[in-house]
Amino acid sequence: MTDAPVAPRILREVLLKELRGITRDGRFRMAAVVVLTLLVAAVTFGLHTARQAEAEREAAQQAAEESWLSQGEKNPHVAAHYGKYVFKPPGVLAFFDPGVDAYLGVTLKLEAHRQHLPHDAAAQDASALQRFGQLSPAAVLQLFVPLMLIALGFGAWTAEREGGTLRLLAATGIPPQRLLTGKALGLAVALGMVLGLPMLAGLGYAVVAGEGVRAGLIATLYGVYFAVYLSVVLFISARVASSQQALVALVAFWGVTCLVAPRVVAEVSTLAAPLPSPAAFAQELSRSLTDGLPGTEGREARVEAIAAEMLRKEGFEGAETLMDDAMLQGIELAAEAAFEAEVLDHHVGGLLADLAWQERVAQWGAVASPLLALRSLSAALAGTDFAHHHAFQVQAETYRRQLVAMLNAELARRGGDDVWRYRAGRELWARAPVFEHLPPGLGDVLASQRVALGVLFGWLALVAFGAARAARRIRVVL
Amino acid sequence: MVFEAIGLRKEYQGAVALHGLDLQIDAGDVFCLLGANGAGKTTTIQLFLGFIEPTAGSARVLGHDMTRESVAARAGLAYIPENVMLYPHLTGLENLTFFTRLAGRDPGAQALRTILEEAGLQAAAIDRPVNTYSKGMRQKVGVAMAVAKEARALLLDEPTSGLDPRASNEFSRLLTRLRDQGVAILMATHDLFRAQEVGTRVGIMKHGQLVACRSTAELTPAELERIYLEHMHD
Repeated sequence: MTDAPVAPRILREVLLKELRGITRDGRFRMAAVVVLTLLVAAVTFGLHTARQAEAEREAAQQAAEESWLSQGEKNPHVAAHYGKYVFKPPGVLAFFDPGVDAYLGVTLKLEAHRQHLPHDAAAQDASALQRFGQLSPAAVLQLFVPLMLIALGFGAWTAEREGGTLRLLAATGIPPQRLLTGKALGLAVALGMVLGLPMLAGLGYAVVAGEGVRAGLIATLYGVYFAVYLSVVLFISARVASSQQALVALVAFWGVTCLVAPRVVAEVSTLAAPLPSPAAFAQELSRSLTDGLPGTEGREARVEAIAAEMLRKEGFEGAETLMDDAMLQGIELAAEAAFEAEVLDHHVGGLLADLAWQERVAQWGAVASPLLALRSLSAALAGTDFAHHHAFQVQAETYRRQLVAMLNAELARRGGDDVWRYRAGRELWARAPVFEHLPPGLGDVLASQRVALGVLFGWLALVAFGAARAARRIRVVL
Repeated sequence: MVFEAIGLRKEYQGAVALHGLDLQIDAGDVFCLLGANGAGKTTTIQLFLGFIEPTAGSARVLGHDMTRESVAARAGLAYIPENVMLYPHLTGLENLTFFTRLAGRDPGAQALRTILEEAGLQAAAIDRPVNTYSKGMRQKVGVAMAVAKEARALLLDEPTSGLDPRASNEFSRLLTRLRDQGVAILMATHDLFRAQEVGTRVGIMKHGQLVACRSTAELTPAELERIYLEHMHD
């Protein structure tokens, strides 16, 4: 007749009671319908957009290659001036979280003497509200699931007190922490009933597409994020006097962490590392290309110094008069390219350093909002964050220099007496290296996100501790 | 000793609600606390439940101090408030099953059904959602919870308030049965008649003090009423 209290059985009872209470409530059905509708719409739209973008990218890439190969006979250096286009391939998970791709662009033109940048690079720190409007599956999960948890759980403790059941619960002798665990599991299972199937379908899709590990990590981190909000809901519900107060406090918390903090952190990161306007950047770059970098001896002197160094390395120092024109022209072109690379590295490197600094500020900004930590991690694992964009730019620039060097070397080797009259054809264009983008590996991604990871788990530890402490100290009567 | 108060004192922001109460209640003893509103009856019950902490002294239940060992003490303790508030979307049986299992007991559905019927709940009502129940029916589920839990200590805070005479009479019979089974009962009430009927002792509280304490066997209903009114008019 009498059994000793068994923790798992009691936990199961609380969980089932909570689940029964949640699922019989109209709020659950309404919240589930809203979240699922938004999610289905976002996934459908995201997949459609991603497939369309991939088809367009493939077509554009093919057209660019064909255009390169069929450009006809021309001087190799002129061909380098005409240049070619490369495209950042979208990742399998880009449909889930488009990240900064939409704002930084996925197309780069490669040509001699210039390193192109996405024309709207400065827009990336203003993306918070723009992303809200984008309604990706990631945005639905990041913004609406916390609201759903608030709607379902704001009365987790207060409603027990207001309904008079908290006194009966306390009188049973159940430890408050066990009650808390049961309530947390009840909310988690209710959430799982809504998101379980879409999540499994998403994981299945990712596994088939070869991104199962990244998708699994994304799912885990979203689980951690939901656990943060779930703990906040239970913490506030245990701390305040009434359900009304709990609802107001939780909606305020959601507003601050999901709407205000991202905007404020974006502004702070802009102030911490202000970016030049595209026009100012282009002007500075142009001035340095014409006159040399500030504080240096000037363009001509620097190009000559580089050329002299090249001659010395080749063993032709002091023997310029014995060299043929083509070889000298080749050295000169290579020296100019090296000078331009120095200038570009200086300016673009500075810009990228500023952007990276903004990224660091944004990651630390997650201290003010778990959403910022998750947003950073989600885009990183989906391959659409700034680091992936940066890797694409770096690889494209490396490729550009290889291509230009190859064309200049061809000119030096075969140019003869009058290098500018030399014409190459399809055979040379076909020998040009093919650009292949290699996205950063998972290890690099996680290493670059260690601040966001630490802050997200820090949030969880903090609010879970707070929820447990509040449950332990809950006032049965006011 | 099932219930024991030793110099139990409670202040709310400087106002004294209970002045150093000393009280002992044994198994099979029904102690009825009488007194006007604000006399300290509910404060005493809540201190024995561990819902509030004493300013001084201690409240002990089944040998456990309610400030430090409330969870252990509550294992053998049941509580029936003035309004037994249950989960409205669950049936009477589901509520009883839930609270009984939470208390670490699982006698099975049939046994719980029998307990509910013995508590006076009609068989047809057992599987109905509690939001269709009257107050009297909910109080009966409260008694069933105490029975199913096999509580050795029972705290009641004006449990018959608002019940019709018939329901109140049925409730008294249930308490008498528990008393006869050796359950120690501390009941705060305004109902002198029920206190005389089911109580083994009565105590009269006034301004946070136990001003009179008598055995019901020594008192006629008229004497109890006279003592009560004397203290109320002071």
